[in-house]
Amino acid sequence: MDWFKKKKRWDLETDVVVLGTGAAGMTAALAAQTSGASVLLLEKSRLVGGTTAVSGGVVWIPNNHHLAEVGIKDSREEALKYVKRLTDGRTEDALVERFVDTAPAMLSWVEASTPLRFKALARYPDYHPEFPGGKPGGRSLDPGLFDANELGPWKKSLRRSPVFGMTAMTVAEATDWGVFSKPLKLPFKLLGERYAKGLVCYGGALAGQLLKALLERGLEPRLEHVARDLVVEEGRVTGVRVEHKGQELFVRGRRGVVLACGGFEWNRALAAQFLGGVLTHPNSPPTNEGDGLKMAMAVGADLGNMSEAWWCPALAIPGEEYDGKQLHRGDFATRSLPHTIIVNRKGRRFVNEAQNYNDLMKAFFAFEPSAYERPNLPAWLVFDHAYLEKYALMTVMPGQPAPEWLQRADTLDELARLVGIDARGLAQTVERFNGFAVEGVDRELGRGESLYDHFYGDPDHRPNPNLGTIGKKPFYALEVHPGAIGTKGGARVNGDAQVLRVDGAPIPGLYAAGNVMAGVTGGGYPGAGSTIAAAMTFGYLAGRHAAAATGTQT
Amino acid sequence: MPEVEYTTRVGLPREAVWDFVKDMNNWAPYLTGYQRHEVLSETDSIWTLKGDVGVLARVVKLKAHVTEWNGPQRVSFTLTGLNEQVDGDGTLEMTSSGEEVPSGARPAANAPTRQRTFLGRLLDALFRFFFRRMHGPAPVRALPGAGPASQLKFRLRMDAGGPTGPLVNAMLAPALLPAAEDLANKIAAHLENVDAGGGLSES
Repeated sequence: MDWFKKKKRWDLETDVVVLGTGAAGMTAALAAQTSGASVLLLEKSRLVGGTTAVSGGVVWIPNNHHLAEVGIKDSREEALKYVKRLTDGRTEDALVERFVDTAPAMLSWVEASTPLRFKALARYPDYHPEFPGGKPGGRSLDPGLFDANELGPWKKSLRRSPVFGMTAMTVAEATDWGVFSKPLKLPFKLLGERYAKGLVCYGGALAGQLLKALLERGLEPRLEHVARDLVVEEGRVTGVRVEHKGQELFVRGRRGVVLACGGFEWNRALAAQFLGGVLTHPNSPPTNEGDGLKMAMAVGADLGNMSEAWWCPALAIPGEEYDGKQLHRGDFATRSLPHTIIVNRKGRRFVNEAQNYNDLMKAFFAFEPSAYERPNLPAWLVFDHAYLEKYALMTVMPGQPAPEWLQRADTLDELARLVGIDARGLAQTVERFNGFAVEGVDRELGRGESLYDHFYGDPDHRPNPNLGTIGKKPFYALEVHPGAIGTKGGARVNGDAQVLRVDGAPIPGLYAAGNVMAGVTGGGYPGAGSTIAAAMTFGYLAGRHAAAATGTQT
Repeated sequence: MPEVEYTTRVGLPREAVWDFVKDMNNWAPYLTGYQRHEVLSETDSIWTLKGDVGVLARVVKLKAHVTEWNGPQRVSFTLTGLNEQVDGDGTLEMTSSGEEVPSGARPAANAPTRQRTFLGRLLDALFRFFFRRMHGPAPVRALPGAGPASQLKFRLRMDAGGPTGPLVNAMLAPALLPAAEDLANKIAAHLENVDAGGGLSES
């Protein structure tokens, strides 16, 4: 910290400095300010919203007060049983309990402090609804639509999702309209009108309404402020060194600094060093380069859950860009709909393709010690023309000509040779799978057994909404890449979101929330919105605790 | 279906403008998001553009077919999407100064017209700001001095087809006018700079 000792002058001073404008950062800023602290909210990019803004915007909160509205019962005990199983021993029970106990209170506080009014999604199941304590719906909550014009001049600064940012529909509408299984029935005229009016949905609606609440309280984020180092004085984090358009700024946080600046999925070196899987195609904004992780490490933070990410298979359309980088689209439904399978280079299926995206990816990383290789990388989505006739493939609507970026052949044998898959293996796999599809039971990998699988399937397809034969030529293949919507390893925290040292003591003045912190759900993904619910809960805890801290007053 | 029209003044006689415009190879690189073009025949070519659709940038291949070559007044063409369900048409029209409309943008004659609210104008301005950030600044041009001058008018209509058409058109609409301005101004800047003995300058 010689650079600070030399300068010893703060350019900006406040009680609490929050880094990052995703749900974690904006919730932390709001919590700190409503608790009486002054706040500076700094954002690295030129847009507000972080990873949250490109997400589905759903929050997963067990035992929430909206469950009664949809007639679903829940309890603390059920939630704990369910989440603890999914953490796989990576998270202390006390921290899981802190999350489960605080999240419903945080939700009530957010609804009282912002324009946000959530709706419980009765039909959106937990990601393992059949596990003890799992639920068939209701824990995932939708933020609804938001008129971005309400942000006034800040409308232009709200980050938009490259996938959800153009179709303004609520999650409930998407489900009712059959967004995956009946894409041609979507009301595109209405969606065009909503787009022209400036309505946003999903993560844009969540981030937009959090931003609106901040703006109404006079708290404007400072964009393009890139935090580089934490300032430590006498063992306490007292501020942050920031770069802003070539200028160096020292920003003092008298009561604390909250790291809420995302994961490290776009930092290839960190990802290669820490992650348990091979991450080549992140689905998040490219600004998530591990800035917060590096700052935390530099001041001696203990780390946890470093091998984990919110894994998500990715598909890519060559030339399609977002923020100047090739766009990697998370695949949530294609692989769950009839007439598709995922195979490795031996032509074998290796996972229930309709499994939730986080757990599905772990099968891609299987390691074969004798060959010293990962047999399931690369992997391909293989499907037939019946799929293209009925369902959408990213931007390709049913009935449209097959795009040039899709590998195609009139026989499976030709397709296998074209792509580099063992032709005999593929033929055997398809023959076996077609038998399962006709019977309606996947006897090999259990696809189509879970309520979760059905949610992303075609409810009108019989006998199983996730299983359809592959037999109508031409046949197609598309590589499925290892992706993630964010990493979830980082600084370990206590129940007040204070960052811990290796000896377990908190680092005074330093907090973490969101993907920069060691994820409370360990390797698991309890349900849609688990990322954001944890981010907001620990942001809420961080903001309140920091605002109440004594800090450095001189 | 989004349709726009933009007119700019060029400090050269229209015959000089026509000499440049009549060969598509001369001005194709000035199309917004230009990647490459391939000439198929005297009237047909394929343009590869990287276009903005909402918050995304996507590579679009369009087949351009010249339908009218009426020098020195007008070249008209149609556009057909090869990898996207989109088509359109456009006209580059040259008139001697004093014969035609003043410079500036306006909705095309048969395009739906509406009163522009303050918010609408503000949003247009913001859109242009971001358009410039993504596609670079507008060309710098000296004001045409005394002497022969002409008007260059560019009309462009694009229409997304298929079931998603209404949504895609809503996304395309804000991008068309800046694209029309870009092409007309870059052609004008090029001609004026060449006439002044320099090349196209941008800042």
